[in-house]
Amino acid sequence: MRKEIFKEFDGYQELVEEREVVRKYGLDYSPDKDAPEPYIRRLHPKRLELRVADIIIETPSTKTFRMVTQDGALPPFLAGQYLALFLDIGGVRTGRPYSISSAPNQTGYYDLTVRRVEQGLASTYFHEVVKPGNYLQSSGPEGHFYHNPLFHDRAMVCLAGGSGITPFMSMVREIVECGLDREVFLFYGNRTLEEAVFHEQLRYYTARFSHIHYLPVIEDPAEGYDGLIGLITGELIRNTLKEMDNKTFYLCGPQAMYDFCIPELEGLGIPRRKIRKEVYGPPTDITRSANWPKGVRGDDLFQIRIRNGKTLEARAGDPLASTLERQGVLVPNLCRSGECSMCRVKILSGKVFEPAGVPIRRSDRRYGYTHACIAFPLGDLEIMV
Amino acid sequence: MESYDVVVIGAGNGGLTASVTLAQKGLKVLLLERHNIPGGCATSFCRGRFEFEVALHQLSGVGTPEKPGPLRMLLGQLGVLDDLDLVEMKDLFNVIGPGDFRLALKPDRVQVVAALQEQFPEEREGIVRFFDMSYQYAHQMLSVFYFKDPDPSREKYPVLYHYAYKPAIEVLDELFADPLLKAVISSYWGFLGLPPTRLSFAYLAMLFFVYIEFKPFHLKGGSQALSNALINRFISQGGTVRFNCGVEKILVGNGRIEGVVVESGEKISARYVVSNASPVTTYTRLLDPETIPEFLFREMRGRSLSPSAFVLYIGFDCEPQELGITGSMNFLAGHTDISDKNLLDMQRLDMGDQFMALSCYDVADPDFSPPGACQVSAVALKYGEPWLRVPPGEYHRVKFRCAESMLQRVEAAFPGARNHIEEIEAATPLTHMRYLGHPNGAIYGFEQYTKDSMFFQPGRSSPLPGLFFASGWTGDCGFQPTLEAGAAAARSIIRELAGQ
Repeated sequence: MRKEIFKEFDGYQELVEEREVVRKYGLDYSPDKDAPEPYIRRLHPKRLELRVADIIIETPSTKTFRMVTQDGALPPFLAGQYLALFLDIGGVRTGRPYSISSAPNQTGYYDLTVRRVEQGLASTYFHEVVKPGNYLQSSGPEGHFYHNPLFHDRAMVCLAGGSGITPFMSMVREIVECGLDREVFLFYGNRTLEEAVFHEQLRYYTARFSHIHYLPVIEDPAEGYDGLIGLITGELIRNTLKEMDNKTFYLCGPQAMYDFCIPELEGLGIPRRKIRKEVYGPPTDITRSANWPKGVRGDDLFQIRIRNGKTLEARAGDPLASTLERQGVLVPNLCRSGECSMCRVKILSGKVFEPAGVPIRRSDRRYGYTHACIAFPLGDLEIMV
Repeated sequence: MESYDVVVIGAGNGGLTASVTLAQKGLKVLLLERHNIPGGCATSFCRGRFEFEVALHQLSGVGTPEKPGPLRMLLGQLGVLDDLDLVEMKDLFNVIGPGDFRLALKPDRVQVVAALQEQFPEEREGIVRFFDMSYQYAHQMLSVFYFKDPDPSREKYPVLYHYAYKPAIEVLDELFADPLLKAVISSYWGFLGLPPTRLSFAYLAMLFFVYIEFKPFHLKGGSQALSNALINRFISQGGTVRFNCGVEKILVGNGRIEGVVVESGEKISARYVVSNASPVTTYTRLLDPETIPEFLFREMRGRSLSPSAFVLYIGFDCEPQELGITGSMNFLAGHTDISDKNLLDMQRLDMGDQFMALSCYDVADPDFSPPGACQVSAVALKYGEPWLRVPPGEYHRVKFRCAESMLQRVEAAFPGARNHIEEIEAATPLTHMRYLGHPNGAIYGFEQYTKDSMFFQPGRSSPLPGLFFASGWTGDCGFQPTLEAGAAAARSIIRELAGQ
């Protein structure tokens, strides 16, 4: 055996002595001392077990589900963040993200406000099946749509469409309840005023607090309505705000609203860094996206072969993740909008469609990974889950 | 029950190179990773139109195709060299501050010496001696431990014998008078986690040597590109990988490894386990502590946990030049104090005038970020302990406060930077704890106090037959050492199997 010459180096003996002393008084690595899990669980639990404490009817089509926890405190969140709810709907295990509409200073519960969507699997389930006392599983708070004091302006211009009001409700509540030094201009687009969720409460805030400006924008107003009408156009924003400088713009609503509003904001000269956009799920009809290939229809059926697994049938117009979970193949997921990358899967052969701007890592693209929640099959596929 | 020759726990650098090396030998290998993506530290995440590099600042040991370094050779052996776009960085490092002080060093011995001499004319001789000594140390170290001189002696290797255990500060004090020069020349201590009072001269010397001789490199697509290339290679060699699959227990029977139990409760049999997890986790949570010889815990008791880090990842809507960023690797020095004060700085939550590193990858690789944009990562080493004591309800507030104090330092170095922020994300020691699973979020494993460094590290072997380690916890930290550690662990298994 080779001699251990490092024992001959100057100072070796002193190091050995030091080591012996330190071992006597050193750290305790016993299993339960400062293990990471309990600390992480307080902030980022893998799963939360929530109980529906109350259901509040907001509008004919919208309910708020007040969720409490049985075990310990709810993890803190930033106003604007969402929870992913993990649901079992008729045997299909799926997940859906919902922004928390209660304020983060309200630490006793999370409010989830759900608008019923036609043919919406999860929203129908919430409205028809979920009752007070039921238990639901969720993720911890997630998402990057919040006021960031490091570089966002004091003045927030919020553009909400339909149920996209929920993260802004949390923000406004926090600002009012905690007396934060921020000003909010909240443009809230709806077809009719009756559909505007939290309308009365927002009207109350705007009457009571000079830094909250609630501005409903109604497409199809009833007689006697004297507020803003039409769509949230650049002109409407400019006429209302006058000054565009020192303001950060936040958007939350369906894809159609982004497609319309973002060019409007750009037209006002708002730089890209001042425009924040919440993810909002895949478009209702992906085949109407720009760049969707002409030869493929939404109802076209393809085969998906999972390596070392089963072969499934998939509709071109359905996100891969939904097809997989409907047939019992579980893929982890949170945002269901392509952003969080939890549902990353590898396409071994075949092509999928991804809408423009889905944030996929450069090297993931190179090796054929996609985010299953926002990828649509354009032919037969072989994938690795 | 599924059965494999080897189960590898964790797809970090060490786990990945171990897996590829074993699969290339035709062994049946299962790689288990609890996250949905490979890499551990060697990963990236997206915000808006940016893909942020998490951990890689300067890849060491690469060298040029004409003069390949050990890492280039290893990547070649692993069959991934052609899949990688390696980008040579044109600067060694830049020091910004204190005050108006600026110094740019190039990765070339003659140029480094000249630049330092020009800045510190009074210290001309000391500067030459410092690099002479560093190079002598590196050459002697390599002769003995890399080329394995069969008959080493004090007479043949005087610098090695004398300086191997000397604290860096002793050498700096011996050679230099100017505290600014001492601070500048020891800037790389941030890559190792201990200030020059505690770090051995050997580490500083070796770092200068490898970065100057083999040049600092980066990768197109960042370190994730390396992790993805290794996974791709592993799969193509017949390896099986499972993401989102944490390991609950390592099974032992008849005094040797028998397999693992995964999160779902499924048992998998294997003759060997390579743990890319920390030995703390491996010995106290994955294995039954009763089965572990007492001396291992005694040995671990003497080691302390390295700092974690507070990191700001910032995406700017302009080119680096517009912000005044001219170097890819920068150290922001708020003071010239290289004493134990730095340990105290690392034990506080706030930034203050703490020593920081700031990388801007776009300087070396203009298409790292989207056109017209660039990104930086600013890092301050921070012990995890104070962050464990932050009440959960205060966490976001404290995180923003620390980020703000760090951002002020970035702005002081690059005025106006805040007005160009398009995306920003902060990672705290708890973030590192969450994603790495390391106790206290320690990014460098155990601390490299001389008594625990190099020759005193446990290495890849364990007293439990069939169990091997591959990570920065059982050897040196950093990309090159951990990538090498995985391949070395795999070779040990291959040798053992060949001997049977």
